[in-house]
Amino acid sequence: MKNRLKIERAILDITQDELAKIIGVSRQTINSIEKNRYVPSTVLALKLSKTFQKPVNDFFELIEGE
Amino acid sequence: MTIKSVLDCERKSLEKMKKYQLPNQFKKIGFSILIISFVSLFMNRFSINDLEFKMIAKYGMLVGLLIASISKEKIEDELISNLRMQSYTFAFIVGVIITLTNPFFSYIVDFFIKAKESSTNGVGDWQILWLLLSIQVFYFEFLKRLHK
Repeated sequence: MKNRLKIERAILDITQDELAKIIGVSRQTINSIEKNRYVPSTVLALKLSKTFQKPVNDFFELIEGE
Repeated sequence: MTIKSVLDCERKSLEKMKKYQLPNQFKKIGFSILIISFVSLFMNRFSINDLEFKMIAKYGMLVGLLIASISKEKIEDELISNLRMQSYTFAFIVGVIITLTNPFFSYIVDFFIKAKESSTNGVGDWQILWLLLSIQVFYFEFLKRLHK
């Protein structure tokens, strides 16, 4: 799964730590999602969607074959 | 009592069981007990040499590891829960493999050094618990470091 989390974060001009505090997770979790090492749960994806004010599909995308 | 109410009751008790974790401060306490017990065991080996003291120190190590294992992280989020689950799975599989293969390796070692008595009795309960807990605790720390 690809994601545009880093870009969306840059648009809002917030750091990993700030985003982590907004959605109530650790900075490591945001870093792992950005580096594609961890696929977040639906709850976390919806929290990100609420923060970025965009549908989940705008920043998470399935790679062909997944 | 209907089947639905029985299922609800079971679900609630299962939910309660999920809250088994200790606060984050207990992690330091757990590691302190582990270190103190380890040092005591080491000292006992070279100076005191008391069997009861040895047993207390050994079980102290298990208690310390268990407390460290079930203590929460500073931020206990879904990534940490995921890593914790991975570490328990890994510890269980590795623990079972080592326990099953240990008598075989003991037999091979005995065969080559031609021991008078074969030691294919297997692994004791303390060794199994120590193995499972230490693999879980240290693999969990390793996984956390990978996700930094």
